[in-house]
Amino acid sequence: MPIIFAAAASHAPGMTAWTEAAPKEQAEDFLANYQQLGVRLAASKPDVIVALTVEHWANFFLNSMPAFCIGRAAHYDGPIEEWLRVPKARVPGDAKLGTELLNACLDGEFDPTFSDELLFDHATFLPLHFLNPGMAVPVVPVILNALTPPMPAPKRCFAFGQFLGKFLDSHTKRIAIIATGGLSHWPGEAKHGKINVPFDKQFLEYLANRDHARLTAYSHEEIHNEAGSGGHEIRTWIALAGAVRGWKAELLSYEPVVPWATGCGLVEFRQ
Amino acid sequence: MSLYQLQKLIYHVNRDAAQRERYRQDPAAFAKNYELTEAEAKAALEVDVRTLYTMGVHSLLLRPFTLLHKVSNENYAKALKGLE
Repeated sequence: MPIIFAAAASHAPGMTAWTEAAPKEQAEDFLANYQQLGVRLAASKPDVIVALTVEHWANFFLNSMPAFCIGRAAHYDGPIEEWLRVPKARVPGDAKLGTELLNACLDGEFDPTFSDELLFDHATFLPLHFLNPGMAVPVVPVILNALTPPMPAPKRCFAFGQFLGKFLDSHTKRIAIIATGGLSHWPGEAKHGKINVPFDKQFLEYLANRDHARLTAYSHEEIHNEAGSGGHEIRTWIALAGAVRGWKAELLSYEPVVPWATGCGLVEFRQ
Repeated sequence: MSLYQLQKLIYHVNRDAAQRERYRQDPAAFAKNYELTEAEAKAALEVDVRTLYTMGVHSLLLRPFTLLHKVSNENYAKALKGLE
């Protein structure tokens, strides 16, 4: 079976950690959409979820920072944040698929690193909390460095996603693929709380229009200046757009939630 | 400047419970394990948010580190005022 489900979602920790700080209607609408997306993911009956994700110093430091890293552990514990208000859980992995993905990359056009032990911070755990209730479906994390420069260029992320998509589409398993991060935000920065709505809307429009030329033309500086240090995470969305490049992106929700300090987006891709 | 060492200290305190405990027992002695300039050691030991930020400590290392020291959102934002 090929890829049978694809979606991208933001992971602002405020969604769970300080939900009630946001305007009630805005929070409820967004989180209801998030949960419904999880219902549709489950209804697609995936054997495995491939998560194009990022991390925030949970596993990697500047002594060794991979551009791309594929997890091939039997399980992943999280969240590392005590304050996230999400129950801790052990998420099952799919070491076999992780290994196959890794081997395909090394035999092809990419040289990701691999890890047999990864902790999940909110970047991966929060989306799974909504999209994989009970952590019922095994997960293969694919981490992109959107944390500290130099980062893989958006065009490279797109190509990486395209490569992964091609491999997963020919796999025997039913595969859901998700991307997590963004949109504009400046976490812990002097500009913390700023949200660049025009940037976010334009990015979502490029996705909806399958404007791959524009998605791959983003420069590091443009993202940094316009979408903030947290905005670099749109690289996972760009990789997903590469993985399901023929699919249509449908915007489920976009909410610039000021108390969560993030432009929060939810997009489902349809064949 | 040894930003790498400064960030390494913060990373260890944030992410490693055993190191965090050693740091808590004697921060100054703990800091001696890292090759820091006098200014860096001072900023780290005083949890001087503004100086650590301007020295280039990554915001997602700095904010968790300051949270461990109970720096409120308000005081954190106040410390960075004018650096936007």
